[in-house]
Amino acid sequence: MRIRTKGQAQEWAMLLPALIFITALIVVPFLLSVWFSFTDQRLVPRPIPTKIIGTTNYERMFVDPLFWQAIWNTVLFALIVTPVQLGMSLGAALVLNSAIPFRSFFRAIAILPLLLPMTVIVSIWAVLFRIPSGPFNAVYQWFAGQGAYVDFLGNSSTALLAIVALSAWATFPYQMLIYLAGLQDIPQDLYEAAKLDGAKAWQRFRYVTWPGLRNVNIFLLIITTVGALKLFTQVDILTKGGPNGATTTIIHYLFKQGYSTQKVGYASAVAVFFFLAVTAIALLQRRFLKNEGEA
Amino acid sequence: MKHALYAGVALAACAMSSNALAGQLTAWVIDGDSEKPYFTQLEETFNAKYGAEGISVDVVPIPSYNDAIQAATLSGGLPDVIMLDGPNMASVAWAGTIRPIGDLLDPAIIDDLLPAIKAQGTYGPEEEFYFVSPYDSGTILWGNKALLEKAGVRIPTGVEDAWTQEEMAEALEKLAALPEVEWPLDVKMNYGAGEWMTYGFAPFAQSNGGDIIDRETWIAEGTINSGANVATLTTLQDWNKAGYIVPASAGDNKFYGEKTAALSWVGNWMWPAHREGLGDDLVLIPPPAFGDAGPVSANGGWGWAVPSSSTNLEDIKVFLNYAMSSEQVAAYADTTGYVPSRASAIPLSETYGAGGAGEIFAKLAECCAIVRPVHPAYPVITNAWATAVVNVLSGDVDVKAELDRAAQTIDQDIADNDGYPPFGQ
Repeated sequence: MRIRTKGQAQEWAMLLPALIFITALIVVPFLLSVWFSFTDQRLVPRPIPTKIIGTTNYERMFVDPLFWQAIWNTVLFALIVTPVQLGMSLGAALVLNSAIPFRSFFRAIAILPLLLPMTVIVSIWAVLFRIPSGPFNAVYQWFAGQGAYVDFLGNSSTALLAIVALSAWATFPYQMLIYLAGLQDIPQDLYEAAKLDGAKAWQRFRYVTWPGLRNVNIFLLIITTVGALKLFTQVDILTKGGPNGATTTIIHYLFKQGYSTQKVGYASAVAVFFFLAVTAIALLQRRFLKNEGEA
Repeated sequence: MKHALYAGVALAACAMSSNALAGQLTAWVIDGDSEKPYFTQLEETFNAKYGAEGISVDVVPIPSYNDAIQAATLSGGLPDVIMLDGPNMASVAWAGTIRPIGDLLDPAIIDDLLPAIKAQGTYGPEEEFYFVSPYDSGTILWGNKALLEKAGVRIPTGVEDAWTQEEMAEALEKLAALPEVEWPLDVKMNYGAGEWMTYGFAPFAQSNGGDIIDRETWIAEGTINSGANVATLTTLQDWNKAGYIVPASAGDNKFYGEKTAALSWVGNWMWPAHREGLGDDLVLIPPPAFGDAGPVSANGGWGWAVPSSSTNLEDIKVFLNYAMSSEQVAAYADTTGYVPSRASAIPLSETYGAGGAGEIFAKLAECCAIVRPVHPAYPVITNAWATAVVNVLSGDVDVKAELDRAAQTIDQDIADNDGYPPFGQ
């Protein structure tokens, strides 16, 4: 019994640093956000006292068309970018896991986007999207003729897709590395057995690789979705949420309310809503996608 | 992460401002490449002049300036003197972070300030002086002489013969017809929905008799969405639809690099790039007179303020009056390329004095600059207006509806803050 208590004390001592950090940096700020969301708290000090204003922030939030537009844009972005990015990652991982020449070299190249800060990537892509004669438009002019161009970022119907393309490219190597690890975890004898049974490449992928990646897929689906829902940097640098709100995301909306116009109370209400929504989505994904070996 | 950063900056702030010794001042300044040589000079010459009297200053350029000020405000670690950005002054003064400096500055200096610079530093219904900037900035139409002449467009030389709105529209039409011109007018849409949209576009509205808020009642409804403003933004929207305005995605260099734009509406900070790109073809054209109010230029910038926590007022007084002396103000202008903020410093400046290349900027600063609203709600005011401007110039949206929304956002914020007392009382 004594030994057990001592063991528990040790466990707690080891947990303590993480617990302190999680409490101080995540739990307490979140509880503060909940509290602020019911007040008219401002970013900078002010001479009139902060008041409790009940659910006013939430009521205003739910009737603001820009808020709903931000939600729609965020959901749309996540719905498009998640499959695109996971598809790219899996494709690249499959290629880099096969016996291609210079495999290590290509693996090194493939993770290059991860080494650049997002701000740098965005600046480079801003040049690629340039009108009338940026590199993407040069390609477009090949098909559409001289003088034609598409203002990818300045057009409401293409701006979000342009950001999807950029985002998928910028972060896919992370998922690719995890897929690569997942692929290497699948026992080779399964492939050999499948080959002996006469399975073609597609059948080997369908019946060996894909089931073997189940846990990896679930993990990546959740973190990619959550990451997509947090979209901010690309939007803030490239479009500032425009044109006409076409790329406003929840986080960008929250930032503008809380930082640019200093309404911390209102921004906290958005943050609380966002937290609950993301948690709900992640829990739903967990509920419907069971890991291998789970009931 | 952000909190950790604040904590770090706050600690540094405490460490740096702890020398409350009499005669030893600390001034925090912005950390910009073009300002650095000036601040080094300021510190050296001040210490050489007043060292014998036992007064010295430590001028410290601070990276991530706004974050540092915010952290130091919360932790009580502000130094003796700070710099602030002009439009932010009112919200800082309202918060009680800075004190009036009218009693610290020589009255002769205040009298000598350009009108809009004086207005920029004057806060509240009591009209107290809180803030003084050593320089002014301004917007102008920069032109490519070769293209303008080719299109047969008259080039105004002074404020008196500035283009009218109709003349400008005609000029744009002629310029657009030139084969080498892609979009004739660059208004820096690539700067995005930030302060530029107020700094750069409010002058068009003001020139047409509009404004972004009523400066007596501090109510936006009826002013920001006035008929004059709707007309002004509709004209700009029409120009955009006609293909006269360089889109945001076209980058920064259509005027001075590729030379496919013939005019650029932007501030004096672009001067070096324009001079280098266009050489002798560069002409400085006064802002257009959009309406009866005549040409209007933007103004304002960073300047000196004194935190309420500062105690060493006698020494601060010496420092402020030195930093705002005509010679120092002229030196600031010549080092950084901005307009001197004192009338008596303008003749001392090589660039802005009589016959200098920037004479027109100095004239605009004197005659035609309108300060951005000095009100604690400014962050909300500018954000609402900027959003409307960018939306109007991004497509075929209803101008009146955009401005109505801006009015509602601003008035709601002011109501939420009980009218920002003592304003509106």
